[in-house]
Amino acid sequence: MSLKLSGGAARTEAPSSKHGARSEGGVTEDADALVEIHGLAKMYGNFGALNGLNLKVMPGEIYGLLGPNGAGKTTTLRITAGLIEPTEGSVVVSGFDATKDPFHAKAQIGYVAEIPILYESLTPRELLEFESSVRALGKEPVNRKAHQLAEAFEVASAFDTPIATLSMGTKQKVAIIAAIIHQPPVLLLDEPLNSLDARSSRILKELLSLHVQRGGAVLFSTHVMEIAQRLCSRIGIIFEGRIVAEGDLDQLRARAGEKDATLEEVFMKLTNEASEVENIVKMLRESYFVNEDH
Amino acid sequence: MKTTDAWRLSAIPYSEMAFKSILQNSSNMWWGSFGRGSSEVSRREDLVKRALRIARFDKFIITAFVVVAAGAPFLPQVLGASYGISASVTLSLAVSFALVVLYGVQTLSSFVTSGPSPVLSTLPLMREDVSLVNLFSFVRTSDYLVVGSVACQVFFVSLVTGSALSALFMLLAGAMNSIMGVGVALWLSSVFYRNILSSKQGKRGGALRLALLSAWGVVVLGIGVLFAAAGYLIPLVQTVLASPNALTGSILSLVYPFSLGISVGSVAQNVGLSLVERIALGATVGYLLVAVVVSRWSMTSVSSFPEGSSMATSGGHSRDTSVPLHEPVIAYALKDLRSASANLPSAFLFTLPAFETLVILLIRAFLPTLGASTLLVAMTLGGMVSLILPLVLLSSEGTGFDFAKTMPLRTKTIVFSKALITTAVFLPAVAIVYAEGLLKPLTSPFSLLIPLASILAVAAAGLLEVRLFLGFAPSGRVTFVLQEFARMAAGAGVVLLPAIIYVAAYIPTFNHALAAGVMVVVASAEVLAATEFVRRS
Repeated sequence: MSLKLSGGAARTEAPSSKHGARSEGGVTEDADALVEIHGLAKMYGNFGALNGLNLKVMPGEIYGLLGPNGAGKTTTLRITAGLIEPTEGSVVVSGFDATKDPFHAKAQIGYVAEIPILYESLTPRELLEFESSVRALGKEPVNRKAHQLAEAFEVASAFDTPIATLSMGTKQKVAIIAAIIHQPPVLLLDEPLNSLDARSSRILKELLSLHVQRGGAVLFSTHVMEIAQRLCSRIGIIFEGRIVAEGDLDQLRARAGEKDATLEEVFMKLTNEASEVENIVKMLRESYFVNEDH
Repeated sequence: MKTTDAWRLSAIPYSEMAFKSILQNSSNMWWGSFGRGSSEVSRREDLVKRALRIARFDKFIITAFVVVAAGAPFLPQVLGASYGISASVTLSLAVSFALVVLYGVQTLSSFVTSGPSPVLSTLPLMREDVSLVNLFSFVRTSDYLVVGSVACQVFFVSLVTGSALSALFMLLAGAMNSIMGVGVALWLSSVFYRNILSSKQGKRGGALRLALLSAWGVVVLGIGVLFAAAGYLIPLVQTVLASPNALTGSILSLVYPFSLGISVGSVAQNVGLSLVERIALGATVGYLLVAVVVSRWSMTSVSSFPEGSSMATSGGHSRDTSVPLHEPVIAYALKDLRSASANLPSAFLFTLPAFETLVILLIRAFLPTLGASTLLVAMTLGGMVSLILPLVLLSSEGTGFDFAKTMPLRTKTIVFSKALITTAVFLPAVAIVYAEGLLKPLTSPFSLLIPLASILAVAAAGLLEVRLFLGFAPSGRVTFVLQEFARMAAGAGVVLLPAIIYVAAYIPTFNHALAAGVMVVVASAEVLAATEFVRRS
């Protein structure tokens, strides 16, 4: 599957990372992976949220993590972002081990959580002030990016309003701006299009396209097939804490043995949910509109 | 809907409201984790569990405290004091009023920001029924407190006076007092959380926030002073009130809650009413009308939330997107100050060390000189109170801490920023002591080194405490409790040590210069050691 995004904007500032070389667009086959996850396991008591997950995200690639609820998408992203520690395995971001050297690994990352995690008593301006200061960013580039992004996502008017009082969509926009203001080489996005209006969704997709064209990488979680199919250059299907299939759509179709199937059909097949869903749909058709009194 | 059904149903929105209010003010949850290690699943899950725990026990604990506080002023009469009960009733009403306000402001924050239960309005219920359930949810926020304190007051008035009429008057006064307290809490919450938190921040908003913080401080300090000086105040006030037709008594009889106290006391006597008592009874009728107005306003306000008001907004019209930048430690400290000041009760804690020091100086105001012992006690206690700040600052991180955790942030940056705030909060206490030093002669000029050493000790204790609290928690529950207390004890020890050294050096030598010098050296060594500990760990 090829990248289906419109792009074409001129390369401006390359994301900074330990790796100097960047391609002009698309996946660079011989480049080192920007995200390399090996044998990742996470136990919550007796429950294994992740069970030996492996994946690589290359420069210039939008990697979609696709899976049912509870499959381990968010846990993978949270471990990669340094929010929780793995029980086993390793995560390397731009050459920095996220467990052994979280300081440098986190400097390479921009993270958007499924539910925006922000200091809600602060205003967007105060939040960006805090983040940019802690990241020791330059005043001029920060103000330029803040202005561009605030205008692009239409949050300039809410810059002095406490985040707690903003709508979910506006909070999501603030979280996105906070994740990309430092132009990190790696973006970790957990359902980033949640709550966004059509305009902002489009702008975010364009930004992601520009990001990978400049050699950045995106690890993207979603359970919406259409988004994954249209946006991602490669998809990993995660099920019960491990990647069960990986590749572009054609490779996934081949793996599922379904030549002309949609991503949804491939997904159902690979996660063994197709027959179960069919049975449930059949049951609903038979009983849902039947009046129980009769 | 039947009234009983509405009352029963209101338990659910009330529980939700109490839980959300506690979760909203995460800086108040610093005590909720005792005995439990933080969950690794997510900080949010940990906070939710902690909020549920606090919501379950909070009201019972506060009620017990309010009952004791409302009953304590009657102890002199129960123990045989011969003077009347007007001052005791007044003090009891003042304390219960303040505690109802303090608790109400914390509990009502989610009520005024998002309504008691937006879910109710999605159910097929009549608007009037939803309003009634909302009203009962509101009543539940302070029902135990009000019933407990009023019952306690009525009991003691009956016991002391043996007069049914006095008890009836006490019941009326207690009810009026509670209505006013709940009304003030609702108003304070509305102003603070709705008009400030949800609106644009500006100079006017900042000034209003400061005014509310000051009002809050007066209430908290007032309770402290009332408790600390109850033994002196009750007979003093009673003497003033007992002198017939005195100007002071006449003025006091107009002031709330003196009017109510004097009225209850006057009914207990079987003699003619003095001028002061007549004025008080007249003022009580006036306050009764005020209570009626307050109760109607409260009910109208509460009933206006049936749809569940939402604060969601897209903002105003600003186009200025400039972002000021600072050093990481300063940026983190600014963030902490902003987060904590958005919450009325936790914001007041920033002024507590200064208040604590002021109270000690006031208590020792009768001494002709400012002695080293006064300075040691004031500074050490002020320093101890400052050590609650690291806990409050760590709790006020709330779920937002996950945001900080995604950034390249070293632990020492967080530790230094919180220790910086802790030390800065202690500085006004030092300023108060030095101001007192300008007004009063000193027993020794070298004792002015004591506040300096105390600043160093508080800085060292802040560094140590924050670093220890940011460390790994052990898995066992008992071990966790012990270690939490050990962390706080470590901080307290660091504050105490220089003071102990001063005393140890002074007793054998009677030399203030030597004792103060050794104290400064020890406190400086503590700062160096704590800084090194933070850098290395």
